[in-house]
Amino acid sequence: MRKYFQLAKITFEEYLTYRLNFVLWRFRSLISFLTLFFFWLAIYSNRNEFLGYQKAQMLAYVVGIAILRSIVLGSRSVDLGGQIRSGELTRLILWPVSMFTFWFSRDLIDKILNILFTVIELGAVLIIFKFPFYFPQKPETYFSFGLLVVLSLFLYFFLSFVISVTAFWTEEVWATRWLFGTIFLEFFSGAFFPIDVLPSWLQKIIYLTPFPYLVFFPLKIWLEQISGIMAIRAIFICSIWLVFFYWLAKILWQKGAKNYGAYGG
Amino acid sequence: MVSLRAAQSQLLTSWAGILFLLGKIVRFLLFFIFLFTVLDSVKTLAGYNREQVILFFLVFNLVDVSVQFLFRGVYQFRPLVVSGNYDLDLLKPLPSFFRPLFGWTDILDFITLIPLWIYFLWFGFSNQLFNPGNFFLFLILFASSLILAFAFHLFICGVCVLTTEIDHLIWVYRDLTNMAKFPTDIYQRGIQLILTFTIPVVILITVPAKALMGILSWQGIIGSSLISGLFLFFSLKFWGYVLCRYTSASS
Repeated sequence: MRKYFQLAKITFEEYLTYRLNFVLWRFRSLISFLTLFFFWLAIYSNRNEFLGYQKAQMLAYVVGIAILRSIVLGSRSVDLGGQIRSGELTRLILWPVSMFTFWFSRDLIDKILNILFTVIELGAVLIIFKFPFYFPQKPETYFSFGLLVVLSLFLYFFLSFVISVTAFWTEEVWATRWLFGTIFLEFFSGAFFPIDVLPSWLQKIIYLTPFPYLVFFPLKIWLEQISGIMAIRAIFICSIWLVFFYWLAKILWQKGAKNYGAYGG
Repeated sequence: MVSLRAAQSQLLTSWAGILFLLGKIVRFLLFFIFLFTVLDSVKTLAGYNREQVILFFLVFNLVDVSVQFLFRGVYQFRPLVVSGNYDLDLLKPLPSFFRPLFGWTDILDFITLIPLWIYFLWFGFSNQLFNPGNFFLFLILFASSLILAFAFHLFICGVCVLTTEIDHLIWVYRDLTNMAKFPTDIYQRGIQLILTFTIPVVILITVPAKALMGILSWQGIIGSSLISGLFLFFSLKFWGYVLCRYTSASS
């Protein structure tokens, strides 16, 4: 356990070394948040309810996007693909560490740092604009939300890991990640806007993918817009996706590692 | 020649090309569906009707994709500076900014530009959102936007020569331009000023879109042209300054 703690510490020190990168990254996150925030403020400028969302609920959804981007979608395991292609992985597999725990330790530090800064930034914005943030009324909502967020955190980790290990077989890992890990992920997870404002035919397609369980369903639970049964169903389906991607990541990693030629190394 | 080589390279790695192309189309379509659905219910956004908001979105895409198509070289400039290989480009009988800015032309953006222009023209003329006079003014301001984008990208390359930092800066620029996906009137006055005078997203995207709709004052036209000219002037000066400080450290 101590070695993983050391890994986390090294990752933290890397962030402190490249401080400008981190500051600019946080600035970018803030810009994305402000764009969505002002868009929805303009939509609600002369109404209090829109497509089933009260103004406070929609703004809470936008804040929730920023927070869940930090908790769930914050990740360093995206670097794995590049390391496989460059041959740098050779050095890592010689270390006495589990690859999954190694990358998860790095992810964890990324998430902790991002969440820390996100809370400070969003807190400042919320205080400046003095808008009422939506807090759930029922205590069990906090539990369901927390549980689904933890599951979705692991789901994203294994999903991202699966995309990265495709680098064992293809040089085009960045294109694959961009399409599935950025475009589909951000739109289908509800990380731009709530999925249920889209036409119903498109919603049905999106619900067949694992993406809505990363951002959309946790936030729907927080906003208490789905029933207890629906929340349990979301947690159950998310668990199934998690088991599937855990299994897929394991299989692909084992097969890929056997296939690994360390070409760039 | 450089563009041709970049295009060949991208088309040869066809699998990646298909994925990138698919991603660009999916991103555009999903955002378009979202805007259409939302505006179908609210009817107006910051005083603009649905068609006008979509026109803002289309102009954003035209400017953004054109800039990516032309100045993609910026994304590959850092390795040249870090390795010192930029020396070789300085020896060539080309302007010193040629390789940093035009060193990589994204053919995939060019492929998406053609249908985008066709749809934009069809959408604008069929909904009678602009007349030929406004369209001519738009073309002039569109060219002015490209000059401004050139100036800004050159400035980023200059910062790269001094600090070797470029990736996050260019993405900050991309994120700020993304704010102009919607009419910039939705933002508060202070943010609008930042978007006009620091990274002039308003001049880059909102001004041509407003000219197209015939709602841009003559002061707006002159002011935006002046700001573009000033940015170009200072960018070229800054580029000259940083070239004198280029140390070719790794070569």
